[in-house]
Amino acid sequence: MDALLIPQILNALYGISTLALVALGLAVILGLLGVLNLAYGEMVMVGAYCAYVVQAQGWPYLTAVPLAVGVCAVLGFAVERWLVRPLYARPFDTLVVTWGLSLLIRKTVEAIFGTGFKSLTEPVSGTMQVLGATYPRYRLLLIAISVAVLIALIVWYGRSRTGTRIRAMVGNPDLARALGVPVNRYAAVTFVVGTCLAGLGGVMIAPLLPVQPFMGLDYILQSFFVLVVGGLGSVAGLLAGALVVGGVNSVVSAIWDNSAGYVTVLTVAILFLWLRPRGLYARAQ
Amino acid sequence: MQRRQVLKATAALGGGSLVAGAFAQAKEFKIGLLIALSGPAALFGPTQRACAELSAEQVNKAGGIMGRPVKLFPIDAGGAPAETAKSVVRHMLEEKVDLFIGSHDSATREAVVGTLKAKTPYIYTPVYEGGECAANTFCLGETPPQQAQPAAEFLIKERKANSFFLIGDDYVWPRKSNEQVKKFIAQYGGKIVGEEYVPFGAPNKFEEVVTRIKGVKPDGVISTLVGADNVNFNRTFAGFGLDKSIVRLALLLEENTLMGIGAENSGNLYSCMGYFANDTGASNAAFKAAYGAKFGDKAPQLSTIGVDCYAALQFAKTLFEKAGGDSKKLAASSEGLSFTTASGRATMHGRHVDKNMYLAQCEGTNFKVIKTLTNIKSGTACKVA
Repeated sequence: MDALLIPQILNALYGISTLALVALGLAVILGLLGVLNLAYGEMVMVGAYCAYVVQAQGWPYLTAVPLAVGVCAVLGFAVERWLVRPLYARPFDTLVVTWGLSLLIRKTVEAIFGTGFKSLTEPVSGTMQVLGATYPRYRLLLIAISVAVLIALIVWYGRSRTGTRIRAMVGNPDLARALGVPVNRYAAVTFVVGTCLAGLGGVMIAPLLPVQPFMGLDYILQSFFVLVVGGLGSVAGLLAGALVVGGVNSVVSAIWDNSAGYVTVLTVAILFLWLRPRGLYARAQ
Repeated sequence: MQRRQVLKATAALGGGSLVAGAFAQAKEFKIGLLIALSGPAALFGPTQRACAELSAEQVNKAGGIMGRPVKLFPIDAGGAPAETAKSVVRHMLEEKVDLFIGSHDSATREAVVGTLKAKTPYIYTPVYEGGECAANTFCLGETPPQQAQPAAEFLIKERKANSFFLIGDDYVWPRKSNEQVKKFIAQYGGKIVGEEYVPFGAPNKFEEVVTRIKGVKPDGVISTLVGADNVNFNRTFAGFGLDKSIVRLALLLEENTLMGIGAENSGNLYSCMGYFANDTGASNAAFKAAYGAKFGDKAPQLSTIGVDCYAALQFAKTLFEKAGGDSKKLAASSEGLSFTTASGRATMHGRHVDKNMYLAQCEGTNFKVIKTLTNIKSGTACKVA
């Protein structure tokens, strides 16, 4: 194990930070608005396809970020305005609608790009030495970016005016409205931010994975586990969830194998749903 | 130009309706086509369907099967095996299909065989582990003695690889194939230094496995991963820089998968298949021309998975006509039967196909055939009498 200890620790870090990054948008939408967006994985997939388009056109990889944010903002705005907003008080209907939306997005992407795998080149390739271990550069970069994005979001949510108003809206929508907070607009902003985070996550992971119309399915499930374990409505919950789900998966996969890792994650998720349905850090009600 | 096209189209329509008129009297020959319309193998769906449709069109032009026009019933076999089995039952009872053609994983094949109980003939087309001898079942795909044996010999004798790590998805095909892979490797003097399976259909990540492989330091890795898992593993493997020192062989590596793996991740990677789309033979050229003419620019990428569906209908026509439509005579009639495939004629023995195999090295996202092996036996000889 010794020589492999450092790379396996990096693997766990990588697993945890990318999971947190990908689950972030879902956490924002579900935690703040109470909407379980089943099309979330497809929004990650749309982000990944934006990265593919950028690379196929020969543009610099970073241009995928504004493209994905733009596409997902438009998508998120339209979905919130015309599908989700009429259904805020009807969680089950939202579930069905977003599920239908996920099929629609997947089939649209299939119609445009086909079902085949798209492969992207890593914008930063090769490996480098970290604490005596050789590790891929791009994965290290992803760990750093994930941490940076999470910190930026925490600061923005905690310190900015918009963040304060969103917290007011989440805490008590009626009171917030009475105090002149434009609740509808902030709900829309929150939804769009969540969707853009999904797209951003897609751009980041696209160079490492086979980009294909079904890739979103993997992310909705994993992100949901993170929220089940961590609890809704707080950044601490998201981090705790990613730490437990990603960490347990990586550590068990490193010690035994992927099957054991997967079984452990499922078991943990079931135990939480059963014994602690509000997760580790549920928002005070 | 436009007028000529209109004339052509009218002529084609007229011809078509004449054929349809003559066929109208005959009862349709119904074929249940079990392909991946959803799920992890869905990327193969379009080519499976396109190849089968092209084949059906050609069979119908040549008078159908025993004078009966072929009608395809595409059925989704990309979900759970039990779901596919239910669809099979429905098509047996409601449509009374004459034949099933299946291009799907082995777990689904076992469910289908158990459901059919030989009542309806069944042609199983894709690469698989060998050994399927259920009554009235015919297999067209590559088997481990055809793929893994020559590839193992090459890796050990010519690439001087001695120790191997086996990685696969956790279901029938990888496990049964690897039982045989281990025998071949031992036979040529190599050894196995690790064997691991990942859950099939789960969102797998491969950083941990690749790190473990790095620790074991094998000379070669043999992958029986499928589809997205295969792409994901090979990308991670090369991302960690192991592609330079460790040679890789994948047993289900065709054009779509290689496209996903990508040019910069395919160094020292080999595949051994019965068909590659860039085969330059005359038969394949004619086949590709017909395929291109029918589906145009949007034609799904060809690969061994698709062309075996094409071969299945050609085989069905030859087989049913030789047996005179008597399902009890199918097995006997299949022995030594020669039929058309995309890359030329093939011959069935023991309800399996002896094949020409191509060992290819990946160069970017292309396969470069480095060895052609003629008439390799399937290693399975089912009873035919």
